[in-house]
Amino acid sequence: MTATTDDTQAAPLPGKGNAFIRYAYRSYGQELTILCAILIMFVSVGLYSPRFLSFDNLNSIFAGNAYIAVAAIGMSMLIITGQIDVSVGALIGVLATISGTLAVSGYPVWLAWLMPVVIGMAINAVVGILVAYGRIPSIIATLGMLSVLKGGLVSVTGGAWISNLPPDFLLAQRVMLGVPFPILAMIVLTVFASVWLKYSALGRSLYAIGGNREAALAAGIRIQRRIVMVFTIHGAFAGLATILFATQLQVIQSTVPPNLELTIITAAVIGGVSVLGGTGTVIGSTLAAILFATIGSALIFTNVSAYWLRAVIGLLILITVLADMMRRRKVWG
Amino acid sequence: MLIKVLPTFLSLSLLTGVSYAAPAWTGADDQPTNPLACDASPADVASKPYDGGAAVDAPNRKGKTLKAVDIPKLVGIGYFTATSKGIAEAAKEMGTMDVKTDGPTKANIDDQITLIDNYTTSGVDGILYAANDPVAIAPILKKALAAGINVVGYDANSSPDSRQWFVNQAEFNGVAKSLIDTLSKEIGEDGAFAIVTSTFTTPNQARWIAEMSAYQAKCHPKMKWLETVEAQEDNILSFNQAKTLINKYGPDLKGIVGMTSVATPAAADAITQSGKCGSISVVGLATPNAMKPYFASGCVKSAILWNPVDLGYAAAYVLRATADGDLKPGSKSVKAGKLGELKVINGSEILLGAPFVFNKENASSFDF
Amino acid sequence: MASFAHIRSLTRHETILAMVVVFALVALSAQSDRFFTVANLLNQGRLMTEVGLVAVAMTFVIASGGIDLSVGSIMGLTAILIGVFWHNFGISLPVAAALAVGVGTLGGFVNGLIIARCGVPPLIATLGTLALYRGLAEGISQARSVGGYPDWFYLLGQGQINGLPTQLLVLFIFAITATIILSCTVWGRTVYAVGSNEIAARFSGLSVERSKLAIYTASGFAAAIAGVIFVSRVSTTRSDMGTGLELDAITAVVLGGTSIFGGKGTIVGTILGLILIQSLKNGLSLAGVRGDGTIVVIGAVLIVTILLSNIFSRDGFPEH
Repeated sequence: MTATTDDTQAAPLPGKGNAFIRYAYRSYGQELTILCAILIMFVSVGLYSPRFLSFDNLNSIFAGNAYIAVAAIGMSMLIITGQIDVSVGALIGVLATISGTLAVSGYPVWLAWLMPVVIGMAINAVVGILVAYGRIPSIIATLGMLSVLKGGLVSVTGGAWISNLPPDFLLAQRVMLGVPFPILAMIVLTVFASVWLKYSALGRSLYAIGGNREAALAAGIRIQRRIVMVFTIHGAFAGLATILFATQLQVIQSTVPPNLELTIITAAVIGGVSVLGGTGTVIGSTLAAILFATIGSALIFTNVSAYWLRAVIGLLILITVLADMMRRRKVWG
Repeated sequence: MLIKVLPTFLSLSLLTGVSYAAPAWTGADDQPTNPLACDASPADVASKPYDGGAAVDAPNRKGKTLKAVDIPKLVGIGYFTATSKGIAEAAKEMGTMDVKTDGPTKANIDDQITLIDNYTTSGVDGILYAANDPVAIAPILKKALAAGINVVGYDANSSPDSRQWFVNQAEFNGVAKSLIDTLSKEIGEDGAFAIVTSTFTTPNQARWIAEMSAYQAKCHPKMKWLETVEAQEDNILSFNQAKTLINKYGPDLKGIVGMTSVATPAAADAITQSGKCGSISVVGLATPNAMKPYFASGCVKSAILWNPVDLGYAAAYVLRATADGDLKPGSKSVKAGKLGELKVINGSEILLGAPFVFNKENASSFDF
Repeated sequence: MASFAHIRSLTRHETILAMVVVFALVALSAQSDRFFTVANLLNQGRLMTEVGLVAVAMTFVIASGGIDLSVGSIMGLTAILIGVFWHNFGISLPVAAALAVGVGTLGGFVNGLIIARCGVPPLIATLGTLALYRGLAEGISQARSVGGYPDWFYLLGQGQINGLPTQLLVLFIFAITATIILSCTVWGRTVYAVGSNEIAARFSGLSVERSKLAIYTASGFAAAIAGVIFVSRVSTTRSDMGTGLELDAITAVVLGGTSIFGGKGTIVGTILGLILIQSLKNGLSLAGVRGDGTIVVIGAVLIVTILLSNIFSRDGFPEH
């Protein structure tokens, strides 16, 4: 924020003279950066081990982690609005258990798919009300919710396996229009959400709230209602992510998946959401989720000791964010 | 351009690690191993004097109702739900034990220590535990012993002088032999295999892997150990890791060993979804409920585990016998209800028995 | 005047909290006669020291409008380094511990640099270093533990001085120093100024950047000291030590009335928050509630306390 004027003067805008590139760079710089990183990973690991680029492996990279991307869409909207949810991992664990239990209890599978979305929306609407009308900061409300959901799940289920799932239930294993369902869901939801965010009045209002609350208020945006709304939408995406998560294997373990919330928040953040508040796109968060999956797979293919995995991810977060800060300064001075 | 270059540079520097990467790491700990003989001949057990601790000034509890608490590594996973079921079963059968299970919600040394401390304060007569860390838990267990509480471990041991007895579900080298022998039967003497474990810091898993590595080198030297990957206790991550292994090694990979009850079913699902049933074998530690679909489809022939319900059951009987003074330093065996006489080994450990092999036929008779 | 209303709402939250604490203590004592004993309470003090140290420093961080998620990882990194320096490099234990604390403090300083110099939001910056420092701990330790320290080292974590657990004295000194700095020094007032309005603070000629650097460095230092105490208490090192500690510390600080948006908060409140959480954990356990039930209660208490405090507080923006 200080003393960056030299940079601004010294660095010409990239692609000067080409309005389209300049537009793309200015609007989607973070997304392009991540896309480049993914492509470079693919090419270099592919050269090292061609099987990395086999159809099966690409399928596991994309389909196996689609649920993280889907959950990160809702998280991105939340962060764009200036909120956060640290309970989403626990919520997905609870919803998966509910969904699996319904499926094995003989309820129709559509109900087992629908209920996680409905219950996710209901639970997060309550959180949204606590945040908007109870004036509890979202990190606190969701920290409390994390304890409640996690403790509750352990008390009720004791971590039992749900194993007699009907074959119809396993949605994530299906292929539709020649594409595995999780990939299709990830793409459709990402496109849908980004169009909604960019072009609808409601979607734009989220940026306004996150960017400048007083201005949003002055512009007549009903902030409290919008916050409840965005939490509810986030709940719906958590529910959708749960469907992909719970129908991937023939068994469901009724526990809270370890560190899932951190992965989801990190994907949203690396995707360019919120670095200075009020900005970001869900395309970025989806790309970031894919980047993580690519790194995870590449580490195995290249025999890099998994001991350093977390250090690498940490460095990646920092460098991406710092790069983004520098880019913004250069573009906007 | 610096900004675009940075993440790229990072990705590249990640890859340069490849050129001097050491051979794939196995995931074993660095303690000495003791592989069993390749045939079925029993290991000669060197008898060792009692090396456990003693409850200081414990009151005479013979025949009195014991107030006991069971503190597993964590609650909320099927395995420890099964052990606590066994403990409750034994308590009901004896009629003289009042026991409840309470543990941390994640496998965390600090939370477990705090719980043991609280129960020591609350004045229980006996503590059953499965340690998250053998050393870290020792001081607090010694405090419980000093308060006259009978302390018995099961599943995961702590340093011997911090508890009276430890119920050993199956010796590490026995489990290792069982896993490797089963694997070699399924993939042949020259097959290549990879391992999916929880984390490198989990002591039991690291110990098993070390013993497996030693036993494989001794008895099946032509089998090829490809690598070990980490997958927490997370079934989707385990699934993704197993699939990546399948994609990476292609037809070279003949077997996957799951080191946790979460990794084994996930690996089984990975080979099912990759259409590799029959060409890649999965063996590993697992609970029968989680494996039922894969036994049913014929994708997995067998999984190995002691019966955790029996393990809990035996632990409760050992605690009772310790409190009664029937099991004392120098004892050679202990009576454990329906399990009969259990042998004392390694000075202060009670052996539950040989590991149990689950398969399609017998899995349906268990529910845990 | 605005500042009066401000101070009034401060006292209000702490009064509510103090009443909640007293109520909890009375209720829990009624549940178990082993709860309200000197031995048990002192022992609880021993158990809450690590979180306490981190929470005291976290009060500064949050009051300045920031957050530090990397403290648990700094604690783990410090713990691993003590073992590595002492065991692998053969450095004498006091020097090894001091070096490890130095590295932990440096970790905090790096957080400060990224946040203050580069302007990265604290949540994001420390999310990155959370992963980075934990990853370093895992990479350096290669999943090996180091134990077998000389007996004198355990004095810190397991011993006592005049009947008081040693580390409780450390926490006590730490808390007193922090109270004095936060409420009686220019530097302390700067923390509040930065937290309530950073731009105004900058225009008032306060050195915002330097103050942030100092705050995050102090947070790293506190986490590093907590790491040493933890190693001494459990007599071994593991790379997963301190996982999730940041959430416990943040819960205590926020329960203690520090605003997550910055600008207000006291050490007394944080200590009350700590006591409330620790007595709930211990008291409910003694009263026969299982651990998973206890965390549900703590989550609910967190939400309800903040909600009550918001309802009763009169300074009435509908939203912050």
